[in-house]
Amino acid sequence: MSGPVVRIEHLSKVYGSDRLRVEVLSEVDLEVEEGGFVVLMGPSGSGKTTLLNLIAAVDRPTQGRVIVAGQDTTELSESELAPWRHRHIGYIFQLYNLIPVLTAYENVELPLTLSRLSSADRRAKVETALEVVGLTDRGHHYPRELSGGQEQRTAIARAIVTDPTVLLADEPTGDLDAESAAAVLRLMDRLNDEFGKTIVMVTHDPRAAKHAHRLVHLDKGKLWSDPEEARVGSGAGDDG
Amino acid sequence: MRKLVWRNLLRNKRRTLFTVVSLAVGVFLLCVLGALLQTFNPTETETSEKRIIVRHAVSLQFELPEAYWRRLETIDHVDAVSPITWFGGIYKDPRPENFFSQFATDPVTLLEVFQGAEIDEAASTAWLAERRSFIAGRRLAEKHGWQIGDEIFLQGEIYPVDMNLVLRGVFTYPADEAQENQVFFHRAYMEEALDNPGMVGTYWLRIDELENVSAVISAAEAMFENSDARVKAETEQAFAASFTEMLGNIEFLFGAIGLAVIVSVFFITANTMAMAVRERYSEISVLKTLGFGRRRVLGVVTAESTGIGLVGGAIGVLVAGVLIRTAAEGLSTMFPLFGAMTLRPSVALAGLSAALGLGFLSGFLPGYAMARRSVAEGLRKIA
Repeated sequence: MSGPVVRIEHLSKVYGSDRLRVEVLSEVDLEVEEGGFVVLMGPSGSGKTTLLNLIAAVDRPTQGRVIVAGQDTTELSESELAPWRHRHIGYIFQLYNLIPVLTAYENVELPLTLSRLSSADRRAKVETALEVVGLTDRGHHYPRELSGGQEQRTAIARAIVTDPTVLLADEPTGDLDAESAAAVLRLMDRLNDEFGKTIVMVTHDPRAAKHAHRLVHLDKGKLWSDPEEARVGSGAGDDG
Repeated sequence: MRKLVWRNLLRNKRRTLFTVVSLAVGVFLLCVLGALLQTFNPTETETSEKRIIVRHAVSLQFELPEAYWRRLETIDHVDAVSPITWFGGIYKDPRPENFFSQFATDPVTLLEVFQGAEIDEAASTAWLAERRSFIAGRRLAEKHGWQIGDEIFLQGEIYPVDMNLVLRGVFTYPADEAQENQVFFHRAYMEEALDNPGMVGTYWLRIDELENVSAVISAAEAMFENSDARVKAETEQAFAASFTEMLGNIEFLFGAIGLAVIVSVFFITANTMAMAVRERYSEISVLKTLGFGRRRVLGVVTAESTGIGLVGGAIGVLVAGVLIRTAAEGLSTMFPLFGAMTLRPSVALAGLSAALGLGFLSGFLPGYAMARRSVAEGLRKIA
């Protein structure tokens, strides 16, 4: 590990107007080292997803700075953010969010259509990503023809195919059965251990939390860490 | 990207189909209106511009004295004058399919005035020689299966006489095939049957040069200014337009209908596209999370709607082209004016452009709004 890939300074996020003001995040500070695996836990409405969205620069903070891969994203315009997200962010959603009219292969290929890669290079990258998630033989299937676990693995392939700086996962096992969830978590472990991916994962699942190097709790917009709960590189994979 | 656009179009096939059909119907109507408008306002040909029609100043229902014929021939720049009277008799029965234009005329001067008409010399000679003979346009002769020597019977409706005629020639009119749906017979034969009243419906003048049109019109009107039967002289195009003027301001009417069609189709298409885009808010948010910028999102949406516009427009133009051609053939025997009705490239292009424009706009407006909406809000809709 070498320096923080994600640095959050005095981050606040307020929704609503003066009359109906909801402070979702309040003065949050967080650092995620390169190759780190941080799990964010907290009750519903605690601001976990908002924090993830702010790291992905799909939302703007009310106050504070979000620095990812050395870039303060709050300084970027909307037109600058789109290519920035493409280069640095891989986002995994709870409900997979594959494009239903595209096959698994085409879904994984989708982010690559934004780059200037040749079709041969694109194919090679897609095949590699599908191989990593174990879905080489499912490329021509549409999302409706896949199980939940397979859909999520396809979504993970889509998130990693551009080799992003950070992988953000918003409750990736939240909609899966235990077996599929375990497979997804093993995959996340592998991406972190084997491929050195920096991962920030939001979850309610205590088993998922065991995979983290560091566990961070969010409650009422405030962040706190409990080093005792962190895995710190061991104990992974015993939930499957 | 193209794949995504294409698959999105096929996502809800029924909705896409209905949108395409609504656009196709709109473009079809625009093309038909355009074709009708151009038919009622025909482009003058060089030959028709050189023809001037002289008729009674009050109405076509009043006739002119036969004596005007020779006097009109004395006007400077007039090369030929032919008397032409609408007979309007019934052939076989009053059914529309048996209706066609019948004119009593002078066989010698007719072909001098209508220099675009082509008839072989033997037929022309035979027609000139026989008072009871008539000539028919090629299309009309083919429609009724007439052969040289065949006799036809025209029951008088306007005039209290019937004409028993024998076909001696078939003419063609390459510059305007609609003219081939008419019959011409000897005026002298009709005059004789009517006890020589010495009246003529209209006089058709052929002048030497286009630049003399105004001078000849003025001279003809001035010549009979103080007579009992004053005349109105006008070009052939103005004469044809006077018939459509009887229907009112066609141009305004068709323009208003066309505008209504465009506006209606726009709202239908825009509403459909807005629905389609709204339904995909979360999906568009996912695309933006993957790195799709506002322009690309807008590009995907407008490409879809423009694609719909292109297909709908192309179908509308094709159907209009086929139906206008069919209608022109069917109507031209009853109304020769419609023989010239066709879907001109300019009208087809205008229809297609309107469809493309409508398609683009109907996608651009909701697409632009969607591209600017919050990604985080869109992602929240997923959860």
